[in-house]
Amino acid sequence: MATMHNSYSPECFRVVHPLRDVPEQKCSSDGLGPIAMTRPVRISLTVLRGYLIVMTLMLGYHVLDMAGVVHVLR
Amino acid sequence: MRIEEAQLDATLAPVEGVLIRRAWQKHLLTFLMVFGPGLIVMEADNDAGAVSTYMQAGGQYGLHLLWLLIVLLPICYFVQEMVARLGIATGKGHAAMIYERFGKWWGRFSLLDLLAVNFLTLITEFAAISLALSALGVSPWISVPVSALGLTLMVVTGSYLRWERIVIALCLMDITWFALAYVVHPDWTAVARATVIPTMPKGGITNNLVFLVIAIIGTTIAPWQLFFQQSCVAEKRLRFADLKWARLDTLIGAIFTVLVAGAMMLVGNYGYQHRIGFEDPAQLAVAIGPIAGRFVRNGVLLLMVNAAVLGTTAISLASAWAYGEVKGWEHSLHKKPREAPGFYATYIGCVGAAAAIVLIPHVPLQLVIISVQVFAGVILPSAIIFLQLLLNDRDLLGDRWVNRPWNNYINWTIIVVLFALSLLLAAQVMLPNLFA
Repeated sequence: MATMHNSYSPECFRVVHPLRDVPEQKCSSDGLGPIAMTRPVRISLTVLRGYLIVMTLMLGYHVLDMAGVVHVLR
Repeated sequence: MRIEEAQLDATLAPVEGVLIRRAWQKHLLTFLMVFGPGLIVMEADNDAGAVSTYMQAGGQYGLHLLWLLIVLLPICYFVQEMVARLGIATGKGHAAMIYERFGKWWGRFSLLDLLAVNFLTLITEFAAISLALSALGVSPWISVPVSALGLTLMVVTGSYLRWERIVIALCLMDITWFALAYVVHPDWTAVARATVIPTMPKGGITNNLVFLVIAIIGTTIAPWQLFFQQSCVAEKRLRFADLKWARLDTLIGAIFTVLVAGAMMLVGNYGYQHRIGFEDPAQLAVAIGPIAGRFVRNGVLLLMVNAAVLGTTAISLASAWAYGEVKGWEHSLHKKPREAPGFYATYIGCVGAAAAIVLIPHVPLQLVIISVQVFAGVILPSAIIFLQLLLNDRDLLGDRWVNRPWNNYINWTIIVVLFALSLLLAAQVMLPNLFA
């Protein structure tokens, strides 16, 4: 804990720097495996994939445009 | 649930502490001990690119875009609060969490994208150092290597706290922006009005205005910030009880950063009032020197260097922490270089390579800047969506740490807006004639 009552005097508080304090048990993903594919997770990852595909297509178009290929096709 | 490996060393050390008599002293001291990551992540975001963007906003549109900063303040805070909460709950960095919960494909994608955009951004930071110090008469062949060496020495001491204190001091140097804004005598009534009432610049909505608005949003919320703050919180081993102080740290950082950004716009506005055209802040500083005085000229140039140094150390650390977490290396500033060679090699490699590239004659910096915008456009929505999904992962976090419904309403709204703006920014960069 960041701060705790001193056991000898209720008027005193001990303040400990995080780097010098006793470690806490953190939330760990050990044994959990990948995240559960709930509906919001599935939709979010699908939207993200779609977004990345659109970005890749735009980048491809930009490269072709810079190379003069798009101008020739027009 | 288990005690993280990184913390095992600490279990062997006796708990030290300071005895305090009064509750308010306890709160103040605890806050000061926790204070750091929130301020650093926010202020380091006012890097060289941000200085350029905010000053261009002031230089091209005067006070018209000041209100945007007030809108961005809560967005910055909400996003980074989630990062701090996730870091405190898990004690791990963002890259490690994406790997563990979303698998190798998304993990590698996020990491490679982060490393690429960070490296390109570092090149722009060193370019700014080179430009600003050249204007002060220092050759890039001296300024760039000396900066790279200084940035390396900052981290190799084997002490996180030493690094943090140096960086907080650099952050506080940005207070000088307020003095510069005061010296250029803006019309404070107009400033107050423009801050709270959005007004349309002359010429209405143009491609340039839209681009600048998106650039301001993009520079205020950068992808590396998510990775940096979570790793920094884990590095500092913040405890569950520290969350409220970490939130306050983040809020103070967000407010300070927005105020500094506003001051940058006011200095840019001085150029607008005197009809001085400029392409980068160094040009503006040199041009307004004869009118505003040497303090403003040298102040802008030196603060540009400070911004670049802050950005470089934070961004390089974000890369080194993320890469170290994923590789399973020792990745801590508490370790000496011989104890965490991969981590320090990544940091030094990023800094050294970016500095070396800037020294290559005729390097296409414009291409680098455009690439940064495109990569940032790709990575920000993806990084933020993983953050939001992780903060709703009840299996991992339990009920205590997951987002509340009101958190989710706000955060999903922010994500949708960022997705749309990132797409628009990328479209403008890659298909410049699309909206012509």
